Amino acid sequence: MKEQTVTKIIVITSGKGGVGKTTTSASFAVGLASRGFKTAVIDFDIGLRNLDLIMGCERRVVYDFVNVIRGEANLNQALIRDKHIKDLFILPASQTRDKDALTLEGVSTVLDELSKTFDYIVCDSPAGIERGAQLAMYFADSAIVVTNPEVSSVRDSDRMLGLLSSKTRRAEEGREPLTEHLLLTRYSPKRVARGDMLSLSDVNEILAIPLLGVIPESQAVLRASNSGDPVILDKESDAGQAYMDAVGRFLGENIPHRFIEEKGNWLKRLLNFKEKETV
Amino acid sequence: MTVSGVAIDQNTCFQFKANFLPCTVLQVMRYDWEALEQQLLNTIRNAPPFFSDLPVIIDLDKIKSLGPLNFVKLKELLVANKMIPIGVRGGNEEQHLAANAAGLPTLSAGKLSVAETKPQKKEEPVVRLTKLVTTPIRSGMQVYAKESDLIVTAAVSQGAELLADGNIHVYGSLRGRVLAGVQGNLQARIYCRTLDAELVSIAGYYLTKEDMLHSPLGDGMKQIYLENEQVRISVL
Repeated sequence: MKEQTVTKIIVITSGKGGVGKTTTSASFAVGLASRGFKTAVIDFDIGLRNLDLIMGCERRVVYDFVNVIRGEANLNQALIRDKHIKDLFILPASQTRDKDALTLEGVSTVLDELSKTFDYIVCDSPAGIERGAQLAMYFADSAIVVTNPEVSSVRDSDRMLGLLSSKTRRAEEGREPLTEHLLLTRYSPKRVARGDMLSLSDVNEILAIPLLGVIPESQAVLRASNSGDPVILDKESDAGQAYMDAVGRFLGENIPHRFIEEKGNWLKRLLNFKEKETV
Repeated sequence: MTVSGVAIDQNTCFQFKANFLPCTVLQVMRYDWEALEQQLLNTIRNAPPFFSDLPVIIDLDKIKSLGPLNFVKLKELLVANKMIPIGVRGGNEEQHLAANAAGLPTLSAGKLSVAETKPQKKEEPVVRLTKLVTTPIRSGMQVYAKESDLIVTAAVSQGAELLADGNIHVYGSLRGRVLAGVQGNLQARIYCRTLDAELVSIAGYYLTKEDMLHSPLGDGMKQIYLENEQVRISVL
């Protein structure tokens, strides 16, 4: 299953807050690591640390990202091994500093060192377009743009895509641009059908980047966050399965999209069919 | 009528803006000083407020063939009646010299200025390369085609801004702001396929999305241009 040789840096970004970046970072990191890739996930949201909670390792945080950048701790001291998967490590954010504590050189040094031993580095970007978000995306090889089917989220994602095409090391060095992926989260086919929510095609028309997956709106996500077990581990839930599919697609597997159609739609179609029959 | 989209911060002392003041043209048709003076006084008497502080350009097109007028007296007469003589246009070289001597500059205003006594050098034809953008223009991005046209073959998102001194062509879906002729070129035009723009502007005249809600638009290429200081949209 494992073939990765060159370390790949993935940024999980969105512009807008609360759309599911940290949930996605956690689930993606778990998904990659569970397939045998040595994976590190870094919380770039300095001052608003959350990833440790979602990953359920908040009680084991001693040193953080900023400590490493400032030379107050080495990387091995700060990396927290995941409780479920042995190939997964978490680098938590500092809760007591602000985003100005991050420097380009500091981030570069940490990523270089991680690249020596890790296959994938997942960067959980903070919301906004300021320093934290810009540094999270700067070194990325791939970007997963997390978007809710809602106009302000779509516009912010569009803005992020603009920055991704100009404000990254790849863009500045004129190298091949990073790969962009759209992950549509909190999708509710029922509300789309009612016209309350933008549809997948509406979002696709505006953003026009390849679709990595659709994560359905699910009770399982909140439950997972509160329990500190990333939702991808909940194999019974639709959101967990959707994340697993998305990780597979990210690794190049051909998996058909699910959770786009309304549940029980076949019943509705059958009824429609019957109605037509009777008319 | 401001030219939107030019970054202004606290350090900015001034900005140039395209502007069009109403201006009255005094077209001299027959040069008979006493008759002219009389006619002018009579005209003013009918509506004095109208002529107060009125900028006036003296047009000499109709009396091209005659010799110089007494521009000093003409200027004094206009000033005495509270008008503001700006300059002369049309006419011949001799008239221009006399007008210039009286402190009335020669305005070209779309007409060939003969006042330029230096023989004009034949200029090399300047071909400005059209700026071409083939990647999507995302929200927050700004593209400016300085002294040229702009062609965009990809989509222009909401919150993106296109600016050009010349014309703008957009072949992808258009949801952002488009400003053509930003240096004041009234002839500039915008061409697009799907028009869902937030704002379209020609030389500072603009329509917002709200203004365009009721524009009769079907499918097909659209043309946006300026006509009588009004921004018009037509389907090609």
